[in-house]
Order: sequence, then structure tokens, then C-alpha cells
Amino acid sequence: MAYVSIPAYWKTIPQRYSLIGLKCKNCGYINFPAREICAKCGKKSEFEPIKLSGKGKIYSYTIIAAGSTPPEFLLQEKYVGSYPVAVVKLLEGPKIVAQLTDCKVEELKIGLEVETVFRKIYEDEQVIRYGIKFRPVKKRRRHKKNEK
Amino acid sequence: MVQLLFTYLGEGDFMEGKCGIVGYGVYIPRFRIKSEEYVKAWGVFAAPGVKEKAVAGFDEDPITMAIEASINAINYAGIDATDINCVYFASSYPPYAEKLMSSTISTAIGAPSNIATSDFTSSTKAGTAAMLAALDFVASGRGDFALVVAADSPYADFKDFIEHRLGSGAAAFIIGKEDLIAFIEGIHSVSMEFFSERFRKGGEKFLRNLAIRSYAKYALNKIYTTCVSELLRRIGRKPDDYKYVVFQQFDGKTPLEVALRLGFKPEQVTPTLLCTKIGDTGSASCLISLASILDTANPNERILVASYGSGAGSDALSIVVTENIEKKREFLTVEDYLEDKEYVDYLTYLKFKRGI
Repeated sequence: MAYVSIPAYWKTIPQRYSLIGLKCKNCGYINFPAREICAKCGKKSEFEPIKLSGKGKIYSYTIIAAGSTPPEFLLQEKYVGSYPVAVVKLLEGPKIVAQLTDCKVEELKIGLEVETVFRKIYEDEQVIRYGIKFRPVKKRRRHKKNEK
Repeated sequence: MVQLLFTYLGEGDFMEGKCGIVGYGVYIPRFRIKSEEYVKAWGVFAAPGVKEKAVAGFDEDPITMAIEASINAINYAGIDATDINCVYFASSYPPYAEKLMSSTISTAIGAPSNIATSDFTSSTKAGTAAMLAALDFVASGRGDFALVVAADSPYADFKDFIEHRLGSGAAAFIIGKEDLIAFIEGIHSVSMEFFSERFRKGGEKFLRNLAIRSYAKYALNKIYTTCVSELLRRIGRKPDDYKYVVFQQFDGKTPLEVALRLGFKPEQVTPTLLCTKIGDTGSASCLISLASILDTANPNERILVASYGSGAGSDALSIVVTENIEKKREFLTVEDYLEDKEYVDYLTYLKFKRGI
């Protein structure tokens, strides 16, 4: 990926900000990202927007290091070093590619449960491009009882 | 509609018991820096009482923090994002000087397009100001639910002492009229003109503080005394009626001094001193502390919240916890966010802040 124009980015805001996919009214398959023709039944059917849960598991992942960093992520690579990118299989089925954040490389493994978080992806033309990343599922540590 | 207006504007304090908090949520970044790191780097750490502070990651800013806090608040309230009629965002150091950010937040959380949005900024009391506006919004009958979210990650010159105390975090509240976990008993605001304490000129990157100690202290006491005593007088309360009092979290010491001067006891203030663990979170600081108190509060307890906008004024709210609070305690608490942490050294801190 390289330069994405503002209108092109804008068009994908529902999927980038809120993880909105399209459910095929013909076969029920959930398409993410949105597309014109259903990836499963191949028909140009009607779609229904559906908000995905954002929960899933790491299907595969890799570490992007200096030298293979796309230009929009050069600043990030300079400041925080190599970063992980994963293919995540969502509960609802679709597989999506996104960065992993708030995690240590050592804790990553295929099958790890992750959830979406809203983060800054990169900045271009002074416009902050926000979107979704994944992090290991944040759990409730303990249930605090009232002390009286 | 006429009936509604009559109900809310009819008697006494128009806000009394009619509006309040339906749900809330917080976000605190997982990175922390300890005060020792500052001592190693500078030989001194200039934030009394602060042991460590929360640091926003490289890919975080007040907008991203606000969104996570808002989602937590919506889940807690048990409403749907499409039920929200208003989104008010507060930050003293927002990522854009011009470009509405409450619209980014409302889009990301899935709120409808037909809503009111506004950004509150340029003061550490922007968070409570937004909350008062949200209460007005709901009390006046414009809508059923308002989301108010304050998030801050203030920024100052790294060699400046004021930088030492700056932390990061966000808190969001859903304001409504029914199923309240806490209602607002009364509110009061004051406005005065003291300057030089904490400011940032247009186009400037760094927060500044001319640190004229006795003058700043005079302003602080004058504003707080006026605001809190007038609120208590109006609603007929006294300091002893409150289980907790939340003051602006500049550092671990000042809120305590303010409280003692106003006739409160240390045990009413100590549980609210979150600044010692996350630093000064600017416009979000009072609201994060309020959220942490609500995490463990019991029904019928009273909480006083009074923010401070550096020399310019204060907003005070008297809040009463209801029985409903027992029902809704299955969501991420301030404590959950505090415990999930990863320490960074000073160099990493500088890199996260793009400071070198």
C-alpha cells in the first residue's frame, strides 16, 4: 500500500472506523471489506451493512522491520521499531489484515485471541488517518467488592 | 414537550435529581513511566506525590482514547450507540486546533448522523464544562441521552517542570434521565481572570506555566472557595455530607491542600487522588477520578466534583449515587486499566511523544 487519496480513504471510513461489513442477502456470507460482488456466491446481490464484533483470533502474523516498511509507516518504524502485522480471523468469519498494538512480540502466537482498538494509523497531508488495529483481549482483572 | 420543560424548569434548582449518569467508562493507556526515570534523566522529578504516570502510545491521541472510553460507557449504560442524541468532546490538548473531533468520535462509535456535536477545549475544566452542557442538553428535553467524553494527553517542553506531571487518560459519561446510577443534586460555576498559570498561545506547541507560586495559590484558593461554598450554600449541604470530594488532579498534593482549606477531611480526598498513578490528565482528570470512585461507591453516598481551569474558573457538581449502581458492575474498571501496565524508560517516553 502506498498513497491513499483522501476521497478513497473517506469511502472506506465505515470499515476503517467501525468495522462495518456487508452481509450478502443471497447467501448470507459476510464480506469484509465491502465489495460489489459477494466473495462467496459470486452474485451481484443486495447487501446489508453489519457491524462486526471486532473479536477474533490471530490466523497468521509477521514482523515488519526497517527495509520492508511502507512509506506511510516509516515514522512509526523509526520511533518504535519493528511492528507486528497480522491476518485476524474474526468471529463472524472474515479474515482481515491489520497491525497489532499494545503487545510484546514474544506473546504473539497463532490462535491468540485479539480485539479491535481504534488508533492512529498514519498521518498524510497533515490529516490523521485513523483506523483499526488489534490487541490481545483486555480482560477484567478482578471483581472489586464493596468494602464497608 | 411543554410538559417536559415545565417539569424541569419548574422548581428550585432545575437540575435537581432529574438528570444524571446512566453509565460511564474510562480509558488509561497501558504504558507507564516511573518518577525515577525523570530523576535519572534530569536529576529531579517536579510533581509532588506522583509515583508514576500513564503514557499514551505512539499510535494514541485524545481521540483514540476518547473512543475506547465512550464504547465502555455505552456498554455500561446498556444503550445502543444509535440512542445517543449528543456527543460532547473535551480536551485541553486536542490533536486538531480546528476540525471538529466529536464528529470523528460519534462516527467511530456508530452514533447516528442526526445528533448535536461540540468540542470543548482551551482549559483543564473543559471536561466538567462539557458535562454541564450535556446535563443542560438532557434536562431541556433536546434528547434522551448525551455522551460526554474528556480525553487528554497534554504536551510541554521536556525541560520545563510542568512537563513532569503530564499524563494521559480519558473518561466518558452517558447522561440521561432514567435508570440513573447517580443523579446530579446541584451544580455551580464561577469565572474569574487570573493569568499566566497554565496557558498555550495559538500556534504554540508547548504548554507553559510562569509558576508565580503565591499568586497561583491565591487564584486557586479564591476560585475554589467561591465555587464550592456557593454550591454548598445553594443546595444546603455541608462538607460532612460528602463521602468523596474530587478536585483537579494537578499532582498528589494540591487537591489535598485545597480540600483541607475548604473544611474537608483527608479521608474524603485520598481515594480520589489518581494523579499519583496516572499523572495530570488535564480536562479528563476530575472525570477519571469520579469514575474510579463510582467503581466502588455505595448507594446514597454523595460525591462532590469541582474542576479547576487554571486561574479562569471552576465547575462544581454535587452527585448522589443511587441503588442502580449495584446492578451494573461487570465492566472494565479504572483498576483494571491501572493494573494492566508496561513500564517504559525515559528514552522510549520521548520517542512515543515524538520528543526527539
